[in-house]
Amino acid sequence: MSWIAERRQRSRFEAVVLPHLDSAYSLARWLTRNEADAADVVQEACLRAFRYFDSYREGDAKSWLLRIVRRTSYTWLERNRPAELVALDAADEADGAAAVDRMPGAAEGEALLMNRSDLRRLDRLIEALPMPLREAIVLRELHELGYREIAEITGVPIGTVMSRLHRARSLLRRNWDGKDG
Amino acid sequence: MECAEARLRLDAYLDGELAGDDRAALREHLATCPDCAPELAALEGLRDSIRRSAPAYRAPPALRAQIRAGLRRERTANAAGGLSASAWVAYAASLLLAVAVGSGGTYLVLGERQQDTLAEEVIDSHLRSLLADHLTDVASSDKHTVKPWFAGKTDLSPPGVDLAAQGFPLVGGRLDLIAGRPVPALVYRAGKHVINVFVLPKARGDEPETVTRRGYSLRHWVSGDLGYWAVSDAAADEFDKFEHAFRAAVGG
Repeated sequence: MSWIAERRQRSRFEAVVLPHLDSAYSLARWLTRNEADAADVVQEACLRAFRYFDSYREGDAKSWLLRIVRRTSYTWLERNRPAELVALDAADEADGAAAVDRMPGAAEGEALLMNRSDLRRLDRLIEALPMPLREAIVLRELHELGYREIAEITGVPIGTVMSRLHRARSLLRRNWDGKDG
Repeated sequence: MECAEARLRLDAYLDGELAGDDRAALREHLATCPDCAPELAALEGLRDSIRRSAPAYRAPPALRAQIRAGLRRERTANAAGGLSASAWVAYAASLLLAVAVGSGGTYLVLGERQQDTLAEEVIDSHLRSLLADHLTDVASSDKHTVKPWFAGKTDLSPPGVDLAAQGFPLVGGRLDLIAGRPVPALVYRAGKHVINVFVLPKARGDEPETVTRRGYSLRHWVSGDLGYWAVSDAAADEFDKFEHAFRAAVGG
């Protein structure tokens, strides 16, 4: 292929993908919980996306890119911090069972009113969530994506997205309520 | 709408994902219920706090330049006019994996954990069928209509059983995706409650169980080559009767 065609392919890729770089970085940052690692992951994900640019069909470039970023984050963690990934899986199971306790009649009531240092604490609570719950809540609240898009990006049915969001919120609220105890 | 039903829908409502009828019914309930309204307020408070506090991180400026430079070094796979050999191998491998999953490879050994995951998926499917107004693909109380409908859509043939005489009329059938494969779901009513019966292949290490999760009870039993998963929020004694009647009719 001539360098002209290559260059054309590259600029098309850049036009489609680079506008979503902030989103990509934000997701990687929440999943790896580290700035330098997030940059590595995004760079690797972009190269991967470029290699498979053929598989991209006109449509939702953001979801397409986020799907690749998510997968790259997982492979990156498997390769570099496998212990963390296993521990997180286990935590998901355990917390999952414990989190399903918001039953009728157990209304906890008042809204969460927070000052600035509280808000930083909330960040850390989100970072402490098991990966599947964390990615669901980040994609929903910070990327403001709908259930269908989240389901596509994370590769699970919509019902699972729904229950993960529910569990994430229950955990955040429970851990928040327990902040002084 | 009762509190239990309302609670299940709060997240979807908050996220703007609840369908019209459901949304109206929930609103009506929220307007009068002293327990559920504060619960929604708490969820809204949490959402607002997250959006206010949690930074949407921005890519460092250097990253953009690094990526551009990386792309320049990279040769595209389609540069040679098609997928490269290694891309084809990866593609073929992904197809093989899909076939393995689709043909029931995942069921060969079913550990406790897989069974647990299955239970979760089954409950999710049940919830989805109720929330998304997608209870049946084929609505019929006639077992001679429901059973053949599944032919060709899944390799699992569910028994055609109507239990209207025992108080559990057949409502229809639906195709759901469980563990990555299409499986038949038979839908029954028990008074106001819905009972979904999912039919999966029997697996090694398949243990009968009765569990309650998220307010739904789930019964699992094995009969012949098939594993049955029934989910409902019907009362326990009703559910007992149903399981008994269903198993008697199937002969398992």
